Parts: sequence; C-alpha cells; structure tokens
Amino acid sequence: MRDLFTPLAILSCMALPLAGCKIVKNPDPNDASVQAAEMTDEARMAAYADEIWTDKVLPTVSQNAVSLTDLHAQIDAEGLDAAGAAHGLRPEGEANPWNFAANGEGTIVEANTESRAAKLMVDVDADGAADLTLQLGPVIRGTALRDAMPFIVFTDFRDQIEFAKLARALNDLANAGLSVPEGDLVGRTVTFEGVYTLRNKSDAIELVPTTLQVQ
Amino acid sequence: MKLNRRHFMTGVAAAAILPLARPAFAQDKGLIAIITPSHDNPFFKAEAVGAEARAIELGYETIIMVHDDDPNKQSELFDSAIARGANAIILDNAGADATVAAVQRAKDAGIPSFLIDREIKESGIAVSQIVSNNYQGAQLGAEEFVRLMGEAGNYVELVGREADTNAGIRSSGYHDIIDQYPYLVMAAQQSANWSQTEGYEKMETILQANPDIKGVICGNDTMAMGAWAALEAAGRTDVIVVGFDGSNDVRDSILAGGIKATVLQPAYRQAQIAVEQADAYLTDGSTGQDEKQLMDCVLINADNAANLETFALSS
Repeated sequence: MRDLFTPLAILSCMALPLAGCKIVKNPDPNDASVQAAEMTDEARMAAYADEIWTDKVLPTVSQNAVSLTDLHAQIDAEGLDAAGAAHGLRPEGEANPWNFAANGEGTIVEANTESRAAKLMVDVDADGAADLTLQLGPVIRGTALRDAMPFIVFTDFRDQIEFAKLARALNDLANAGLSVPEGDLVGRTVTFEGVYTLRNKSDAIELVPTTLQVQ
Repeated sequence: MKLNRRHFMTGVAAAAILPLARPAFAQDKGLIAIITPSHDNPFFKAEAVGAEARAIELGYETIIMVHDDDPNKQSELFDSAIARGANAIILDNAGADATVAAVQRAKDAGIPSFLIDREIKESGIAVSQIVSNNYQGAQLGAEEFVRLMGEAGNYVELVGREADTNAGIRSSGYHDIIDQYPYLVMAAQQSANWSQTEGYEKMETILQANPDIKGVICGNDTMAMGAWAALEAAGRTDVIVVGFDGSNDVRDSILAGGIKATVLQPAYRQAQIAVEQADAYLTDGSTGQDEKQLMDCVLINADNAANLETFALSS
C-alpha cells in the first residue's frame, strides 16, 4: 500500500523549488504519504478501494466471470480443485478457499430486503428451488471481493486490521453500486455478475454481486 | 561378476532400507527454538506441542521457551536462541511493535523466524507470518452471536490485550457485523487482557452496574470461561456467551449447555505448517509461499463441538 504512494512522494519532492540557499525538509501538506499517514485505517482503505474499484476490481470480475451453471457442472464433474485451478482465484497458502467470479440469470424465489443483511434467493435451473443467494447488504458476509483480486496481496498491508478494512470498503462499494426495485420481487427475473467464496463443493453459494438487474 | 552384482544389489537393498532407519539417527538437522506465550493458556501449549511434534518428525532437535507476553523476556529468549545456535525460530510473539527488533536481531545472526498466530508490524524481516484469519473468524462469531441474541438486546464485549493486533482485529470483526443491527446495544466494553481471572472480575463488576445484559462476546476463550464463571456465580446462566479460540474448556462448556459458541483457530496445524516452512526454507532456501498467510477459522457450536480436540476439528 505504502509503495503506491512512493512515486507520488518522489514527484512532489521533485516539484519543490531548489532555488533557496538551503533545502529544509518540511512535510509537504499535499504529499500523499503525509496525508495517508494522518488518515485512519478505515478512511485510507476506503480511499484505496475507491481508487481501484472502477479501474481494476470491476474489470477483474468481468474478465474472470464464467457462467455459474457451467461452473457448477464442472465442479460436480471434476471436483472443486480442478474447477478452481481452471477458473478460481485465491491467494497462496494452505487451506485458502477458492473464490469464483461468475454470472448468470434466474428467477427470484425468495427476497428479504428488510434485513440489514438483505438477500435474494435465486433459482437458475428452473426447478423452483433456490440455487444461490445474492448478498445485497449493507451487511455482506465474507471477504470474497478482496480475496479474488490477484493484485491485492496480504504481505503488502501493515496488518490484518488494515487488510480487513479493505475487505469491508470493497463490500460497501458493492452494496452502494446496487439498485433493487421496490415491491414484490418474488417471481421476477434477475441477471447478476459477482464473486463468491466456495470452501466445499456442497456449500451454499453466497454471491456478492457487482452488477445486478431485476427485470 | 556375479559377486559384484550381488554386492551391488545388497547396496541397493541397504539404500532402500535407509529411509526407514533414519529416525534412529535423526536429530541431525539442527535445532528449532519454539517461543510462545505462557502455556497456562492451552492455545499456546497446543502451538508448542504441534510445532515440537512436527520438528522431531522432520529430524530436528527442539527447545521450547515461553515469554509470558513480556517483550523484555522475549528479547532475552532470542539472545539465548542465537547463543544456542538455533537454525530457526518458531514464534508466537509478545507484541506487534516490540517484536520487530528481536526478529531483526535473529535475522542479522542468520537465523530465520517463522511467526504464527500474531503478526508483527513490518514485513520482510520474518520469513513467514502465518496467522489465523481473525477478521473472518470474528465475523463468524459475531453472526452467531447476533443470531443467538435475536438481533436485539444489551451486550458486553470483553476485549484482549491492547498491544496485541489480534485484540483489535477481533473487536473490529465483531463490530463490523454487530453494529449494523440497531437494536443490539453495547452496555460495556472492557479489556480483560486475555485472562480468565480478569474476565471473572470484570464480568462481576459489569454485571452489578448492568444487570439487564443479555449477552457477552469475548475476544478469546479464557476470558469467556472467566465471564461464564462469574455469570454462573451470580445465577445468570441465561446470558449468552460467545468466545474465540476453540479450546477444549469451552468445547466442554458448550456440550454442557453453558457457553454457546466459539471460533476455532487451527492452532495445532498452524504451528506444524510453520515448522514445515522452516524445514523447506532451511533445505531449499525458500518456503514457496508469500510471507504473510491467512488461515480461515471455523465456527464451533453445539452442532460440531463434539468433534473438537486440542484446537483441531475432525470431520
């Protein structure tokens, strides 16, 4: 994270006039690293999330997204690890679960938009039973959005606190980007794209949508 | 010619037996120092036992030391590990800031450190930092707590020792979930320094001032055990208690209908992985992993508590 600011810091130092007799180091209030140091973890990570959201996060989701139904057919046929190796995204290390970017379309069979952890239950194979949950938030479970990003590496962050704030900031941006129509949603068609974490192949899919449209 | 071949084959047979015979003259790969907080908390004991067992399996001698969460004592232990010529140090450290210098000193002496459980605030000094995904675990615990509380009521939070990153991260994970429920109100928040005795005392005092509490969420299991004992003594077994760690004590309490839930950190396996990475590093010069690694935690409640033993869950 700090590395990001280094080029900015160097640039702003180069911009300082060298005409005086003696160079006295004063912290430049416009220096990005000085500003960053004064921010709380939460504000700094929210700023970083804002910075990467449109340029890096959304494109990463779109580029890696596969059809949810095809993906789960493959998981059923070849196992989670084989499907994960082909389409999954995960940080290195033992016991790190796979994250998948996926898209699809289905029918809303149940909707809970009252709760702080609002969600839509969606049937994608037309058997009347829910196949996945779309997490609308604002309370969004998990850190799938953060962990699916290959360019976000834990070692680059000061500690788990900073890293956790980034996950929260990304979840908040996902929530902020969604708009769900009012009224009864059950029976309506929804198209979605987003990410989810899958620890075991039989676990429930709790997808965090980055795009969502109710028809 | 025949003789030679027979000799050759005898040699092949001996070589084939050799790997089996190795444990007899093992202990030749060097010394691994295992430094953790006090074994009074079974969590740290499980780490030391897990690390030692794996190190001996891999052919190392071990020395086990405890720093009692005192950075000065930890610093002395590092000096003695360096003086003893340890080949690697497995460490659960005594403070995110204070530990940086000690790990650096070992590095300067050519001894790589492999950290478990707790991080330090610098990267590039230790070879590995393998920590439980405390934020993910805390969110699991908080979700269960919210469910048990029925999304409403007054509650207390007992937090861990403030110098420890894990105290802050767990509290942060709890609040990122709980604070989103407007009918859950925090009546008191105090540090009980990871301690069972302090957990008991703090809970006793808090209960007198706030008799209307419905739940207590704790930063670790020892504080949860202390809080539960105080609640039992006051006849308040109706209060919902949730811990963090996955100790056998809390498992037994859950099975007896006392404490409601905890979050398992895979401490035993984590310590073993650190030793495996130390072995890889000493043998090949690389662990093949990023320095900082997260291991996910698992929610433990009445459904799966029976499968829990010494910080490991059997399926």
